[in-house]
Amino acid sequence: MSFTIARTVEDALAAIAAGARPIAGGTDLVVGARHGKAALPADLVAIDRIAGLDDITAGSAGLTLGANASHHAIEHHPVVAGSYSALADGSALVGSPATRHVGTIGGNVMNASPAMDTGAGLVVLGAEVELRSLHGTRRVPISELWSGPGRTIAQPEELCVAVHLPQPAANSGSAYLRLEYRRAMEIAVVGAAANVTLAADGTVAAVQVALSAVGPTIVSVMGLDTLVGSSVADAAEAAAAAASAQATPISDVRASDRYRRHTVGVMARRAVETAARRAAGETIAIPVNRTLGIGAAS
Amino acid sequence: MTVTTPAPNPARFIRADGPDKVTGSGRYTADLTLTGMLAAKFKYAGIAHGRITRLDTTAAKAIPGVFAVLTQADVPNVRFGPFVQDRTLFADGVVRFEAEIVAAVAAVDAATAQRAVDAIVVEYELLPVVNDPETALAADAPLVHTDWASYGASGALVRERNDASFSSIAKGDVERGMAEAAVVVRSRYDADGCHAAPIEPRAIVAQWEGDKVTIWTSTQVPYDARAGVCETLELPANRVRIIVPHLGGGFGGKCGFHFEAHIAALAKAARRPVRLLFSRREEFLAPDKRRESICYDFETGVSSDGRIVARRVTLVLDNGAYTADAGFFSQLGAMHALGPYRIPNLLAEAHLAYTNHQPSGSVRAPTAPQTCWALESHTDEVARAIGMDPVAFRQLNAVDTGLEGPTGQIYGEIGVQECIERAARMAGYGQQLPDDEAIGVAIGWWPSFAVPSGAYVKIDGDGSAQIITGAQECGTGSVMTLPQLAADELGMSAADFQLVYQDTSVAPYDMGATGSQTLFNNGRAVIAAAAQIAQQLRALAADHLEADPADIVLADGQAFVAGTPGRAVPIATLAGIAAGGELLIGHGSGMPPGPPPISGSTCVGDAGMAAWVAPQFSCHAVRVKLDRDTGVARIMHVAAAHDSGTIINPLGAEGQVQGGVLMGIGQALTEGTGYDNEAHQRTAGLLDYKLQTCADAPPIDIHFVQINTPNAGPRGAKGLAEAPNVATAAAIANAIAQLVGAPVRQLPMTAERVWDTLQEVAQNTIGGAA
Amino acid sequence: MSESIILSVNGMQYPVTIDQGRNLLSVIRGEVGLTGTKEGCDDCECGACMVLLDGQPVNSCSYLALQAQGREITTVEGVLNGDAMHPLQRNLLEAGGVQCGFCTPGMIMSATALLQRTPAPTEEEVRVGLSGNLCRCTGYTKIVEAVQRTAAELQGS
Repeated sequence: MSFTIARTVEDALAAIAAGARPIAGGTDLVVGARHGKAALPADLVAIDRIAGLDDITAGSAGLTLGANASHHAIEHHPVVAGSYSALADGSALVGSPATRHVGTIGGNVMNASPAMDTGAGLVVLGAEVELRSLHGTRRVPISELWSGPGRTIAQPEELCVAVHLPQPAANSGSAYLRLEYRRAMEIAVVGAAANVTLAADGTVAAVQVALSAVGPTIVSVMGLDTLVGSSVADAAEAAAAAASAQATPISDVRASDRYRRHTVGVMARRAVETAARRAAGETIAIPVNRTLGIGAAS
Repeated sequence: MTVTTPAPNPARFIRADGPDKVTGSGRYTADLTLTGMLAAKFKYAGIAHGRITRLDTTAAKAIPGVFAVLTQADVPNVRFGPFVQDRTLFADGVVRFEAEIVAAVAAVDAATAQRAVDAIVVEYELLPVVNDPETALAADAPLVHTDWASYGASGALVRERNDASFSSIAKGDVERGMAEAAVVVRSRYDADGCHAAPIEPRAIVAQWEGDKVTIWTSTQVPYDARAGVCETLELPANRVRIIVPHLGGGFGGKCGFHFEAHIAALAKAARRPVRLLFSRREEFLAPDKRRESICYDFETGVSSDGRIVARRVTLVLDNGAYTADAGFFSQLGAMHALGPYRIPNLLAEAHLAYTNHQPSGSVRAPTAPQTCWALESHTDEVARAIGMDPVAFRQLNAVDTGLEGPTGQIYGEIGVQECIERAARMAGYGQQLPDDEAIGVAIGWWPSFAVPSGAYVKIDGDGSAQIITGAQECGTGSVMTLPQLAADELGMSAADFQLVYQDTSVAPYDMGATGSQTLFNNGRAVIAAAAQIAQQLRALAADHLEADPADIVLADGQAFVAGTPGRAVPIATLAGIAAGGELLIGHGSGMPPGPPPISGSTCVGDAGMAAWVAPQFSCHAVRVKLDRDTGVARIMHVAAAHDSGTIINPLGAEGQVQGGVLMGIGQALTEGTGYDNEAHQRTAGLLDYKLQTCADAPPIDIHFVQINTPNAGPRGAKGLAEAPNVATAAAIANAIAQLVGAPVRQLPMTAERVWDTLQEVAQNTIGGAA
Repeated sequence: MSESIILSVNGMQYPVTIDQGRNLLSVIRGEVGLTGTKEGCDDCECGACMVLLDGQPVNSCSYLALQAQGREITTVEGVLNGDAMHPLQRNLLEAGGVQCGFCTPGMIMSATALLQRTPAPTEEEVRVGLSGNLCRCTGYTKIVEAVQRTAAELQGS
């Protein structure tokens, strides 16, 4: 049993190589342990005090989120909110204000919950995860990171140190929405993110859609290339149909598979519509759920 | 006459326990620590129905740090229960719901106690699970209690196999009424159970000194808890002391006798103080207090001019595995199914069915919100069927001053009609709304409970005063309002009084923070006690001022001779005089108001709920916005008009309405207890049992129709704490039904159930067009 | 395995020896001896355990105590201005925002964090800012009023 506080990434990597589990905010680990999901690991290395690991850096090459960037910081970062809105929409919905302060993007991504609120946004924005170990660094496209509920392809000695997002295309916009039964403290019943690029004539130049809580991992909706050139309304309808068709939801205490399959289409349609409005220059405040009242209309 | 005030006067009432609560210095039961204190844990059945074939605690007892392991073999063989004596402290050979207690452990810490619990070996022969109240009533249904007929029970109960309490109310000739009706509407509704869910999970600490035990416990009903300990551990009342530290909410969930005896027995066996702290999951599963699920079959006949001429209704309530205080719920549910309406011909029949579920019990206005939801949804269907506006229909058919209710009770002055008018007006009923919004209206009622209650008042030699009351404060502020009543009686100020409360060995009896009865009954007791002292003070002052005691007026902290304010003496001076002679001590109880007469109706299984003392009325009008693509509803505005008689503490009264309404919104939309096929609760946590958050809470406009009600509580007050929880879900349902095009027949009206109903409406529309 | 650390709570240094898996809440209530912070659910759903960690709200039930070393912890007991109530505490009482009081300490901590971050919050910002704190008694109306009154008062001063 050990608990060490890492001051540098190298400290953390050494501890991880020796068998320790990284802990940032710790919410998922501590709650999970108490609910008997998985015992608290015997050896822990706290990574929340590594200088600079919570930096959010925006530049011409895109956006880099240090793994320790909190949901609160992401939600309120002007560049994230303006140019990577789907991510900010998601971070702004995570848990409670306290959870958003403690919870980090690295922890969220590596926890690999299919219901995570940032995942679909990261997928449509083309994020890559930077995994580092004592042996080196690699970047993994985010949709390849998750191998199942709570599982990633990361090796035990690897630490997620950053999430990278490419510069969004001109005339693009993104949004993430989830179905929720109350306006806060929710877990997504289903969710959908869209990234839409508009052509000069207002038709769709590119569209990506990803879904949360309708499969073992975040679902990337396939086959949307055919929508290039179509109107936003047509693209939204087609995305909704594709989302419902490609979802593989389960039935549980929160919703039946049938209801999830339907509502994920609704969320996908609204995500495309909202992303397109943002692409056209409209300001729709973060998070879309509370601004437009998705699910529970405002 | 009706005195209607536009808005309560926002008096700067600061509750006496408030500073403790905002600074963190107030102690709740879980905050107590005693030297040598052990931690308690329960071994739960984990299955819903089974016969214990093996129960072995040897390994558990052998764990170092374990001080006591108890089963039913270790406690007196007492079967208890307020209505049916169907229960034992620990499982007696058979377990009947998933959180039935099989054994209890006291150990040096919680982790050791849990290890010991895990080391207890229990094996079961599985018995058939009774998971549905309606099928439980079938003649060939497996019995939850094979020995039901031999159990002791309240004489009023009509019991048969799994039906623990059958009750009926009949009046007129329902057959003929239906035959004469222009239109007869039949409806089926199903309400899931739900939970009180106070934010404080329960906690109990027990400590023995010699043959006396002190139990600190988070109960709403300390005297009831004491009675349960005395009965099950076979102790006289004067050797059991129940103290309630600050109580972190109850909402009925902490009514009744629960686990105090288990912890007292553990403490005795361990010879150490023992503390029980519930987890949130235990708080959901273990108490015998879940709001009962009920299914309803309504049939109402109306004349062509819109008058209700007949109603037939059948209710099946889920009793759960044991009969807690639900014994009177069948009659209470029947009353709510008839509702505050004038109905000449009626028959209501209600069954309380044993199942292998958590026992049901009084959660804030038991049977009322779900029955109001069903009845008022049905009422809108009836109004629609004859083409009447739902508000006009209610105005036409609701009870009113001087008119007769469903059981033949004639009402004195009541404000139900004014509640309807006010709520509709505050909601803007009739206004043009967007296509996705609608306003639903519902009326509700609730009795006041007139019961014995006691208090002492004393003024010490320095003129400072104390109220020593049996009343229990669960958060509502009712106890906090008592000083004002005493102060007014004695011409003193509320700040002159300190409260001593929540200690059964110090104060006289009170029923507890239950039935909205605290101010109603204990207010009477405090006034009576203060009146005794007032009489003493008048005599002393008369002596001092050389006047007739009848001429002495008590005001502004002084006693003076009427008409000559100059001839005055401070009450503190009189208290100083009294300290040298006959002390200033008052005790009070007063006679509770008697039950009003009823005539013309016949009740089987009469639990005393057919006639209501000082009935409270309410009308809620709720504006709802519906996302038709998903079925998610959002509450935009609530208008709540209440006749709870005279309002004594406006700030507290508003808080009761606001809290009750929000609880009603939760019950309407997101709070429901589902069971899986093995009768395990599926929503035993706050993520899936969703209370409304601050971000969900809508604006709530409140109006009190204040009537100085005779034969009621102090100053014409009625109860208030439960009434605001009655009509909200019903009003929401009627708004949703307008937006969907049909009522949602299950409660809670979850988004998915709303969406399912939308799909059915769409299919029927297509089918109808074809 | 136990570790000996120092926790700084409301400006006081508390040396404590605790097991690695202990959550901050149990250490504040046990070893530190401040019981104003409550446990209502143990999984971040109710907010009764809310404390501030370097000024930011944290559910102490789901935060390892060891991770709080070197950080300033503020509990409800640390909100008083000496012996005087903080305006937020007074306004909660005057507005009627306290009933059973069990959610109140956590509510105060969330509101304190909110007002530090957003001194003049809109009603919606107050409602979202308090959305991690469940209250079963009040319907939140009077709590929101109290926070808004406090904001106005602090802005005015």
